[in-house]
Order: sequence, then structure tokens, then C-alpha cells
Amino acid sequence: MAAETGHDVLGELMRGSLDHCVKCTICETFCPVSNVTPLFPGPKYVGPQAERFRVPREESPDASLDYCSGCGICTQVCPQGVQIAEINTQARAKLRKRTGFRLRDRIIARPDLTGRLGTPVAPLANLMLHSRLPRRIADRLLGIDERAPVPAFAGRTFQAWARKHRSPPAPRRVAYFHGCGANWYEPDAGRRTVELLEYLGCQVDVPRGQGCCGLPLQSNGMFEPARRYVRRLTRRLAPSARHGIDIVGTSTSCTLMLKREAREILGLDDDPELRMVSDHVYDICEYLLMLHDRGELRTDFQPLPLTVTYHAPCQQQGHGIGKPALDLMALVPELRVIENDATCCGVAGTYGLKTEKYEIAMDVGAGLFAQIAEARPDLAVCDSETCRWHIEQATGVRTVHPIEILHRAAGLSGPGH
Amino acid sequence: MSRHDAVVVGAGLAGLTAAVRLAEGGASVLVLAKGVGATHLSPCTIDVLGYDPEPVDHPRDALRRLVDARPDHPYRLVGADGVAAAIDWFKGCFADGPLSPYAYAGSVDENMRLPTAVGVLRPSAVVPETMAAGDLRAGGEVCVVGFRALKDFHPVLLADNLGRAAGVQARGLELDVSPEDRADVNALGFARAFDDASFRARVIGQLAGRLGAGERVALPAVLGIADPHAAWRDLEDRLGRPVFEVPTLPPSVPGMRVFATLRERLRRAGGRVILNVVVTGAERAGARIIAVRARVGLRDAVHEADRVVLATGGFASGGLELDSGWVARETALGLPVAGVPAPGDSRFRPGYFDDHPIGRAGVAVDGDQRPVGPDGAPAFDNVTVAGATLAGAEPWREKSGDGLSLATGHRAGGLMLAESGAHAGPAAVGMGG
Amino acid sequence: MARLRAEVLVIGGGATGAGVAWDAALRGFDVVLVDRADLAIGTSGRFHGLLHSGGRYVVKDVVAARECVAENAILRRVIPQCIEDTGGLFVTFEDNDPGYGDRFLAGCHTAGLPVEEIPVAEALRMEPVVNPAIQRAFIVPDAAIDVWKTVWSLADGAVAHGARVLTYHKVIGLHTEHDAVTGARLRNELTGEELDIDAGFTINASGAWAAQIVRMAGIEGIGVIPGKGIMIGMNHRLVNTVLNRCAMPADGDILVPIRTISAIGTTDIRAADADEIPVTQAEVDQMLAEGERLVPGLRRARALRVWSGVRPLFQDEKAGGAEVDTRDVSRTHAVVDHRKRDGIAALLTMSGGKLTTLRLMAQDIVDAMCEQLGTDRPCRTAEVRPPRNEDGRYYQVGSRLAKREARLLDEQLICECELVGRERLEETMRARGTINLDDIRRQLRLGMGPCQGGFCIYRATGILHGVGRLSGAQASTSLLAFLQERWKGVWPILYGDQLRQARLDDWIFQGLLDVEHLPETGTGAPAALLEEEPIPA
Repeated sequence: MAAETGHDVLGELMRGSLDHCVKCTICETFCPVSNVTPLFPGPKYVGPQAERFRVPREESPDASLDYCSGCGICTQVCPQGVQIAEINTQARAKLRKRTGFRLRDRIIARPDLTGRLGTPVAPLANLMLHSRLPRRIADRLLGIDERAPVPAFAGRTFQAWARKHRSPPAPRRVAYFHGCGANWYEPDAGRRTVELLEYLGCQVDVPRGQGCCGLPLQSNGMFEPARRYVRRLTRRLAPSARHGIDIVGTSTSCTLMLKREAREILGLDDDPELRMVSDHVYDICEYLLMLHDRGELRTDFQPLPLTVTYHAPCQQQGHGIGKPALDLMALVPELRVIENDATCCGVAGTYGLKTEKYEIAMDVGAGLFAQIAEARPDLAVCDSETCRWHIEQATGVRTVHPIEILHRAAGLSGPGH
Repeated sequence: MSRHDAVVVGAGLAGLTAAVRLAEGGASVLVLAKGVGATHLSPCTIDVLGYDPEPVDHPRDALRRLVDARPDHPYRLVGADGVAAAIDWFKGCFADGPLSPYAYAGSVDENMRLPTAVGVLRPSAVVPETMAAGDLRAGGEVCVVGFRALKDFHPVLLADNLGRAAGVQARGLELDVSPEDRADVNALGFARAFDDASFRARVIGQLAGRLGAGERVALPAVLGIADPHAAWRDLEDRLGRPVFEVPTLPPSVPGMRVFATLRERLRRAGGRVILNVVVTGAERAGARIIAVRARVGLRDAVHEADRVVLATGGFASGGLELDSGWVARETALGLPVAGVPAPGDSRFRPGYFDDHPIGRAGVAVDGDQRPVGPDGAPAFDNVTVAGATLAGAEPWREKSGDGLSLATGHRAGGLMLAESGAHAGPAAVGMGG
Repeated sequence: MARLRAEVLVIGGGATGAGVAWDAALRGFDVVLVDRADLAIGTSGRFHGLLHSGGRYVVKDVVAARECVAENAILRRVIPQCIEDTGGLFVTFEDNDPGYGDRFLAGCHTAGLPVEEIPVAEALRMEPVVNPAIQRAFIVPDAAIDVWKTVWSLADGAVAHGARVLTYHKVIGLHTEHDAVTGARLRNELTGEELDIDAGFTINASGAWAAQIVRMAGIEGIGVIPGKGIMIGMNHRLVNTVLNRCAMPADGDILVPIRTISAIGTTDIRAADADEIPVTQAEVDQMLAEGERLVPGLRRARALRVWSGVRPLFQDEKAGGAEVDTRDVSRTHAVVDHRKRDGIAALLTMSGGKLTTLRLMAQDIVDAMCEQLGTDRPCRTAEVRPPRNEDGRYYQVGSRLAKREARLLDEQLICECELVGRERLEETMRARGTINLDDIRRQLRLGMGPCQGGFCIYRATGILHGVGRLSGAQASTSLLAFLQERWKGVWPILYGDQLRQARLDDWIFQGLLDVEHLPETGTGAPAALLEEEPIPA
């Protein structure tokens, strides 16, 4: 009876999972943040431990939990099934509600809004974003660290390109969920994705008007607007899902948002439209590897005599699909891939942009950066855009999505492109 | 949907051992685990058999007696030779592992007696080289050094109890040195600090002139995580005396070293690991499992496999569960659980150290480690069970924990390789009985 | 033999005795409070933590209900720091007596209990885990009360007014002269030494053990029926409002959010001996089955610990008491005047009662003493706040988290589950001068969280060994005694997550530390507790 009515003592958001904690401390040994700074007391402490002391009618007493970067590694390594990161995210939202939302957080949590504002005036906006004085002012006034990587506006959008592009009919049809990164900052990456998918035998729909998935709002504790964003995006993607068309995304954190986090953390699991969309969403590497496992992936890739490093970002690991990018890149002749043995690059979406957290983010990423520097790769590869920007800024090594590697190996990025 | 020669469920010592063996034997291997396994909690000394119930001096002989006396004990599956083969293999893993020359010392022939963090001399067969000088069978003088900021190791208490053992003189010293002078640092934090020569120099500086001529030095098992051999050797050289580690409360730094070593070997051999997935069942064709089902977040995934190794641990790890109606189940594949008292019967006795009726519960297996039902017939032909999931042992009491996991995991890998005709090596399949 | 002198000897360091000591000390009496063990270790400490609004009694015992209404309001005023203002919900089910809800409402009005009926949907919004099949819901001012904190606050208040508190001192004889009790002989349970107290007046507040005490003065015919009740502490707060089934009191019909846990209670079974009250599997099964009806899914939530307590329900042969169901024995209290009943002066016994009315009970018995002594000293406990309640604010569950937040960088956390820091632990160890980690546990909640000491008891043993200057043997004794004490409270509920925890703890204590082979252990009081001495380096 309990399960059917939805009234269930353990179904009370993620909170019930705190019962599984046996205090084993494995999460703490993996936490990228608490291992570099004592300001964050660690996932076990702020998660299942502190949660027992949090009562709805009382104010949140523990501001230190705001140092959680939300990377989610604690949940991934927990052998007991405690949803540590999810508990923390919900507690942080309550805390932020009390402390109020900084202007800075309201800005960086809305990449589509900044994109919309910056794109028409891209040259000027980029000049501002990459000049010292405006950055210093933004640092002092807003708390956006002047050293943090910020992407440049492309000045044109992926959506504009997609509106003009006609994908030729093909036996397989997919919808492309491009995310804010590809739309406003990396439209070429979006284009490459479409080209690759077409090369691999897919007709690609690009649903119009895709906005932000709400993840930055969620991780900054603004759950209500985040829910609105999720619902808006869901409406745009729902027609594809309704027709049984799989939705693939290149932004691994945004696909995870639709797959899990919006349902689990924002508590939207009872939204039937979201559930339908969610069930059809795939990370693009996951999707391609699935085709490969079924023997349906074209594998006649051209040799690519390059050395690349591969870092699987935290949010990608949150999918629980292993590292499909490694398996896909293994299909490319002569490509040498060095797998990085690091958990997190530090930036964790918007965390590393904040003045009070930038240094922590750099300390977290130090191990990864050292591995990349030691490998001296031609390219670094990583599935998440904010991580790529952070790694590139920290190491000076150009950092790309795995799709770009496959795009090249498919002969689509040759000199003619 | 993915396809592998073998799916290993569980990433503790047994699961990783089986997975590495399979992958290095040429099989494609996928490890599915809910999270990181018990290596991080165990001191990772390979205690083959510590008590039977008297302290064991020669585990090889004691194993033979145990298997004769207790035909349901899982050591019957591997025997003393199987244990020895597993130990050789395990030691070999470190030889060209990422932490080399960090190594393990000891053998199945003799137990050392090493102090625990509360000062008991505990029998152990095979231990990290960094612990071996703690063997106090012949007595000795020990200065136990701890750190106020490390709450999981109390040197004065340890020394006070240790000093009551025959031939042992011990005293404790608590130093007020910690990384960045923090008040509360866990074992891993100290281990990172000990990788740094300047931190070691601070510790050595504090000990200058405070050690007796014949004293060896005991330290918590935090002497380095990136390069423990170098950290330990440096301390020995500069203190001019034997130095040894004593396991702390979890998290276990020696366990993390084992995890890193086996994980890296698996990576090199092409094995895949997916964490944060819960195996919820299997698809079968006759007596064989053809695929395991796993829940990943809100979705189900199916992983096809020719063979499955089940190494999910016992009640401590969630491999076994007892519900509030006192019904036990094996959580991944729903295998029958043996040794559980009926729901109306008592499972525990009122004394903590009593013999508890549920103590040896687990999955019963045949001679090939295949799970069997109450009738003794195999539940599946292509499933092999290893580690703490097995019925018949109380490893935490016998002090057989990691020995049992290593040996049965090693044999599980070997059995599967032998069956699939891949190269398994001459000593690969442990001796039965 | 040592000899002490006092105006008033109070026997029994539970809530009643501490309340009496506080009341009498406030009135200016010179008081000695004694207990055979630690404070609040008997019935008081083995309770679910519900500060009754009176709702539970409005239908069947309006006198008890009225007392609760009044005392609930007073305690909220004088010991707010011991009380969490949770509020209470009474919910009815379809299979209840259909008229009970209305009788409940009427009873509340008669008893003067503020009550409000709310829509079921609102009740479910307040407490989403409550069974959605509830039919009606009423809100009353129930609250959660921390008994240990209450008893320690009252005892410390008494001490501040000149009282002396002797724990681990067992009464082994009462002295009588000329048909009056003149004091008692005590035995120090830690050292075995004996001690005489000359007391002008003796108050027997030993609850379930009261008959044994008065027998020492030759008084017969008073019987105490130990009504055993078990309670299961669940790992976290499943509800934040006290949840009561709105029906005639029965088993498993209360769920109390108390500090970080929620306690479900209780049963009521006649026990043969107040000192032998083991929890049986049948009781656990019954409690879980009943709890599941209140909160579906409770069986899958984590049980932390189970405990049992005895209600001191009195039968007085001289008052014509007959055999009764213990739950039907009135929960109101009475002062037994042994001068009237037995011709023995200077001795009063408190019979019956409940935690919610502890202040009133103390007032009544001290009034009776004043009357017998012919002195007129007014009771002040309804106005004066005992220590640590001065700020007038209710207890906040998050207070430890808030305090810890301020010390994150400079203090070591020893008990991670209940957030006990090293300094507080060391201070308490010094102040208590005890070898017994269980005493520390009750005072600080050390080792009372999910891991049940799995991680902190080794740490606490190491610290106690240093602070208390214990020998290795004494430290080992303390550690092993704690493990056994903890085991007593967990083994009957070891299923699901708590079995997983217990097995991990086994790995720590047996697999890793090998505590079962500790060299010989030793008992006795700590050699010396040198407060001013630094911890040995």
C-alpha cells in the first residue's frame, strides 16, 4: 500500500537514504573538496550526519555545507546507497533560502539569460569578459573570481545554424539536446555533433527553443526557478520523446539533470512529461556505445595519430554508465588515449567561478592538471563544457569533447572543414 | 546493454581479485558495484587464520585441521595450497604495481603477532612490509608514537596494553604535530602529509633524543599513500631503527593502497568498473545466467555475461540482508541464504561475545563455488561466489577475513578462466579440500 | 565509617527524586540525594520522551489529563531548554471506535486542553509519512522532553542550593528510632565502602523499587507492579510532531520525535522483577507491526536501539488494591504517608505518577513533609528555572550542529553521530570522575547515534585512559563493559541497516582491534582523577 500511495517513510525525498549510512568514511576519502580544505567538513558530516539535526521548523545552522561543490562523487563511491550529494543539495537549498541569494549566483545560474544578453553584442561582451579591469570589478563587486575561466560568446547561436540546416532522412532518428554551452558559446561543437550523428546514420532533429535545464539554478539552491526551467525545457523535448525518438545530449551534466536530478533532487518525479522525456535521454557517448554494443555503429574511423588525455567528469560518472568515451575512442586507429586517474577538475559547474571558492577549485584540480601536464598530450578530452574551460585555462592544453575526436576520425574535420 | 565474458558484482578484495585475474587472463570484465568496497575499511593484512579458537602459529597446519573439523568452512574450497597460491599472486600484484616497490611480507606457514590499535597482539600471516617489524613474537622494546590530531589511534592506551604481553616493553608518546596544524585530521590526511618529506622531518624532529637505544617505533598506518615505501624507508633510515605501522580505525590507508594497486592492474588489463549501480537480478536460460540486471539511478540496465562472480560481501556490506520479518536474502541475485535461524528462532544471544546462531550465515556453494540451494544442487552453473558472502565462516572472529576473500576471489577467477579455456597458469585453480 | 548529616534524604535519582531534591533545596532544606547507580538510569531514562499535553488521558482519566495540561504549561516555562516544542497530532483510523474522536474532543474541552481539529490533508502535509488512511486529525500541545537533561538540570539546581548528590550509593538499610526514620546506611557501589546518613526526614522516590526501600523500615503491604514497556528508537526523525493514535491507549501507538531520533512506544506487560526486563522478539515484532500502521514503511526504516522501562504502578493492600491491568492503574500519583499508614514518622513514599507531572509530584510530597515537620515554606518550582534553562528558549535540535559549526576548525569531533567534541568529552570525564563510559554516554549522548559507538568508543576509551589516568586494565574493562551494554540494546532489533552497522562494528572491534583478546581487565574506581594535570604526552 505504501509504495502505491507515494506516502512512504523512505520515499521522503532522498532523506530516507541517510538510514543506510554506517559511518564508514569512504565518501570522505574520495571527496575532492574536503581533501583540500578544512572549510568543508566533508560529505559524511554535512550529509547523513548533519541531516539528522536538521528540522524543518528550525533555521539551517551549518553554513559550511555551502562549500560542497555538488560534484556527486560521494554518492557514487558510497557502498551503502546513501544519496549523500542529493541530501546536501537539498540542505543547501534550504540554507540559501535563509541566507538569501547573491546577485552573483542569480547571474551565473542563468547561462541562457547571459547568453541571450551577450550574444548580440558579442565582441564588446567578450572584450569585457576577458579584460582585466572589468573582471576585477566583477570580482570585487559580484564575487566572480577574476582568474576563473569564462567562455567567450560566439556571437551566433547553434539554434540559428540548426534552423537553416536540413538533416537528410536516415533509418535512425534522434533528437539533439544541445544545452546552453553549445548554443551560446560553442556552436561549432553543436554542428560537429550533428554532422557526426548524420555520418553515423542518424537523422537529427534539433527541437527549437531549447532553454537551460535548470542545473545551475539547482546547484545554487534556487529550486523554484530551476523547476520552471526544467518544465519549460521538457515541453520542448517532449514531442520527440512522445514519438519514441531518443534524445541525445553532449552536455553530460544537463543530460544527467533530465535523467535523474530533476526527478530526485527537485522532486519532479511525479511530472509525467518529465518522466517521459527523462526515459529517452542519453549522454551521446552512452548512446553511441549502445549502438556499438548492438553492432549498429559504423566503425570505419580513420587513423588519428594523436596523444590525448581523457578525464571523465564527475557528472558523467553520475550517469553510472562507466566511461563509454574510452571505448569509443578505442575504435580510432593510432589514437593514444591516456586515462586520467582523477576524480574532479574542481570547477563543478559554477563553483569554481566564485571568488571564495576559486582557489579551492584549483587545489582540487591540481592532481588532474599535473597528470595532463606530464602526459604532454595534443589534446585533452572531457565530456563537460565547464570542466573543459577550466582544464584549458589551468593547463593551456586545448580541451575538447570526445565527439570532436570522433568527428575528426570520421574525416569530417579535415582541412576542408 | 553490454556484453562481457564476465561480470563481477562487488569491488572489495574478493571481487577485485577475481576481476584482475580474469582480465589479466584475457577475459573482458565488467565490475558492477554499489560503491567502493571494504578494502577502505580493512587493515588489509592477509590474516589467513588467527584463532582456532586458540592463537594459531602455523596457519598452513591449522587450515588442514580446520577443514577436517569444519567441512562447511569455506576454506575447504581452497585449502592451504590454494591460499598459498593466492598469496603469491597477491604479492606479485605489487611487484609491478603503481606503488612498487611497496610490497607484502610473510607467508601461509607462520603467523606474526602484530599489535592492534588497542594493544592486542593479533595473529597475521601476510602483511605490508611497513608493518612487518611489528612482529613481537619474540618480544621487544617499542615506543608507540601517535598524534593528538589523529583520533583513531591512541598510542598511550596501545602501549599500556601492549606492555602487558610477554617480553614486551612499551610506552606511548603523543605528538602535537599535524598537517597544517589542524585539530582533526583523518588517516588519509596524515598519509598525504607523510608523503611529504618536510612533514616527516617535523615528526623526526619531535622524536629526536626521545627514543631509547633498543626501541623500535610504532606509528599509525598512515605512512604515505602515494609512495609508502619511500616514506617508511626514510623514517627507518633517519630514526636509525625499525619502524612499523599499526592499523587505525577506518578509513584504512593500507586498504587504499591495495585498492589502488588492484584497480590500476584492472585498468591496465582493460577491465571496466561501474560504481553506483545496484544489481537487482538476472536473466537466465536454464541453469545459466545470461545477463544481470542493474539499477542505475532511475533506470534499469542489462549487462550480458557468460559468467558472473558474486562478491558482494556479507551483512556488513549489504550483500546479505535480513528484513524486519527476520527473513534473509542475498541482495543481487536472490540466491538462497544458508545458516539463518527460522523467523521465530533467536538469531543472537544476549552476550556480545557469545556464539550467535546467525554468525555463519551466507550463501552455500558446491566445490566449484557455485551457489547451491537447500537441496545441495547448484542454483546456477555459471555463477561463482567469493568472499564474505560465503556461508560457514566468522572471519572477524577467526581473523580470516582478507585471507578468505583473497583466496576465494583468486580461485573464482581461476575457475572461470579454466572453464573458458583461457590461459590460467599452472597454480591458477586452487586445490579442493 | 563515614557519617553524613542532612535535613532531608531523597532516595532515588530519577526524575521524581531529582524534582524532590530541587523543590526541597529551593525551599531551603539541606538535602542529600542518593541513587544506587547514576542519575536517571531507571524508569526515567527508559522512557520515550513525550511531554504529555493530556490528550492521552482526556477520555479515560480526566484528573490525569487536567494535571498534564497544567504541568505541561509550567514545565514549558521553567525548563524550556529540556523541551522541544514539537506539538502533537492525534489521528484516528477507520477501525477505531467511531465515537472516539468526538469523545476525545469533548474530553479535551472538559480538561481544558487546547485542541484544534485540522483537515487530514493538512496533517499529511505537516507529516508526510503518516498513514494516509487516517480519518481525523487533532493538534494538541504535546512536546518532547529530554529526560537526562531535565534530571541533571534539576540535580544541579539542587546542588547550587546546597544539596549533595551521591550517585552509585545504594541504600542498604534504613535507620529507625522511636517509630521514625532517622537516616540510612549506604554502600558505595564502586568502592564497596559503607556510609551512614543521619537525616531528619526521608523521601522515598525510588519508583519501581519503592517497596524494597520501605521494607527496610519494616513496612509491608505495599506492592509495585512493574509494568514493562518497550520502546524502539528509530535512526532519524521520521516525524517532527508527536504522533498519537487517537484511541484508548494501546501498544505501539505513540511516535515521539526526540532529539535526533524518533521513539515508538510502547507495550505494557507485567514484569516479575523490575531489574529483569529483557526485550523479547514478540514485543519487537508487535511494536513494528503497530508502528507500520501509524507510519507505513516503518519496518524498512532503520531501528537504532530498543530499550525497556518499568512503570512504577502501586498497589496498596491497606487501600484494598486488587489485581489490575497495569495500563488501567491510574497514572495519577499519591503521597504515601507512613506515619498515618504504618505509624512510622519522617518517611514519605511517592507512588505512581508520570514524568510530565514530576514537578507537581515533588511539590505534593515536599508539602506533605512540611506539614509533618510543621513548617510553612512555599513551593517555588513553578517560578524558578533550574540551571541551563535561564534563557527561556526551547531546545533546538540543530543546536549541536550550530555549536559545532563554530568549532569546525579547532576542535576534534569524537562522536560523529551525536556531534560530541573532544573538549566537552574531556570536561565531562573530569567532572564526573567515572570509569564508566556508559555514564558519559547518557550525559553527552556519546555513542548513541547510528553507529552505536562503533567509531567513537575506541576514541573515547583512549581519551578516558589519558584523562582519568586509568590503567590499561581499567580502560579495557570500560571498553568491554560499554560493548556489552550497547549490545543489550541492539541485538533484539538487528535487522536491515542496523544489522549492517552492527556487523561493521564487529569488524572494527573484533576483526581489527581483536578486543576479545585484551589482556586481563580490571575494575574499580579510577586511580586518580587529576583535573589540573595536563594529559600525559
